[in-house]
Amino acid sequence: MPQSSGERWRPPRGRHRLPREVVERSQRERLLEATMRVVAEKGYGPATVTDLTREAGISRTTFYALFVDKEACFLAAYDETVERLMRQVTSAYEAQERWPERARAGLEALLAELAADPAQARLLLVDVAAAGPAAQRRYRAAVQRLTPLFDEGRDFAPGGRGLPANASRLAAGAVVGLIADELVADRADNLPSLLSDLLFATLIAYLGPDAAAREVGERTR
Amino acid sequence: MPPLSSQQEAKSDLDRADLGGLINREQLPSGRADLEQPLVAHSQRERILNAMAAACAAKGFGATTIGDIVEGAGVSRATFYELFKDKEECLQASMELSLADAMGRIVEVYSPDKPWAAMVRDATRAFLELLASRPNFARMALIEAPAAGGRSLEMYASAKRVLQAVLDLGRNDPIEEQGIPASAGRGALAAAEQLIVGQILAGNSERLPELLPDIVYIVTIPYLGQDEALRQSREAEKLIHSGA
Repeated sequence: MPQSSGERWRPPRGRHRLPREVVERSQRERLLEATMRVVAEKGYGPATVTDLTREAGISRTTFYALFVDKEACFLAAYDETVERLMRQVTSAYEAQERWPERARAGLEALLAELAADPAQARLLLVDVAAAGPAAQRRYRAAVQRLTPLFDEGRDFAPGGRGLPANASRLAAGAVVGLIADELVADRADNLPSLLSDLLFATLIAYLGPDAAAREVGERTR
Repeated sequence: MPPLSSQQEAKSDLDRADLGGLINREQLPSGRADLEQPLVAHSQRERILNAMAAACAAKGFGATTIGDIVEGAGVSRATFYELFKDKEECLQASMELSLADAMGRIVEVYSPDKPWAAMVRDATRAFLELLASRPNFARMALIEAPAAGGRSLEMYASAKRVLQAVLDLGRNDPIEEQGIPASAGRGALAAAEQLIVGQILAGNSERLPELLPDIVYIVTIPYLGQDEALRQSREAEKLIHSGA
């Protein structure tokens, strides 16, 4: 079992005068982080509510005050993690001007975030499918969250209007699929070196192979 | 979502006439015998496999119990255990049946004489129609089986390698010299896979055949370039609407 994270601030034990919402928020945050760690480690099926409360250092009563069951807790943890990840990706994307550079920066941030926690990355993109239909729909929503980063390619591409309506979903699918291949092969440390392949997979849907290869050659050399 | 465990990006060594050989080497079922026989519940075994796929679609493989399966199939527990050791073995059998069908459809349209783009289009179309006609099996084969790991995941990865080999027939040497990464074909296949998985998860399996033009576009573009990929995609669009 991973150790409980000591990095997070916790309210002092015993009697204290912190406002109730602050305590609850801290418990919820701890629980959600613990849930991602435990499920990444044990798998969704084998992980129990007891595992989650023990890792988070909260009582069962507190758990059930926050969530009706393990699934509700996992779905909230999943969403929260995706949300955090997307904030990083979006802010890297928005810091650039020209679309290919925006896409490159977004993908670079995505890879860096995923590489920093390989077990969590694998849960986010691969093992989530084993957590049931509701989790699978969250996975789909998470992949969809990437598509706005690619939609701008339609304005950038010379023939953008004539491209398939699903171009951004195709680009997102290629990116996620190539990352998943690496995670399944236990090569998370290799993720950052995937950048040029992912950028190519993104650009080709809009610009075609030759222009995509030129852009990638110029940007990542 | 799931893996392509062989990471080799070598140029395909698939001989055009030897798709059957490759399917065998990947130890995939190629049973053409299953082709003509739809998954109508003839036997107890088939009823169990149908019930398995239905339960998986409703609650996921992890939450599916033997009780769900035997109830759905209308058979006794004893009958289930005569045929299968456990839930995993039942999933594998269900996966085998689905893959035999899918490979059968692809072998059917595969011909050494057909232009590559037409072959890819026809194979994709046959595959999408098969998935649309059996939404529970589509969901089980593309989402639950790979997530379940073990032999089911191996079969899934093998099937992807076969599809990749078919796609790589379109690869010719010059494109590698133009700075196109070796992973381009794998990326294209992943894009198609995610589009299909997304459609299934959205509950729109019956509309999978409509994805044909977009899939044709993304899987041909690395090999044929954008203009030709768009042309192929429009052709595919016409084909769907003509119903031919």
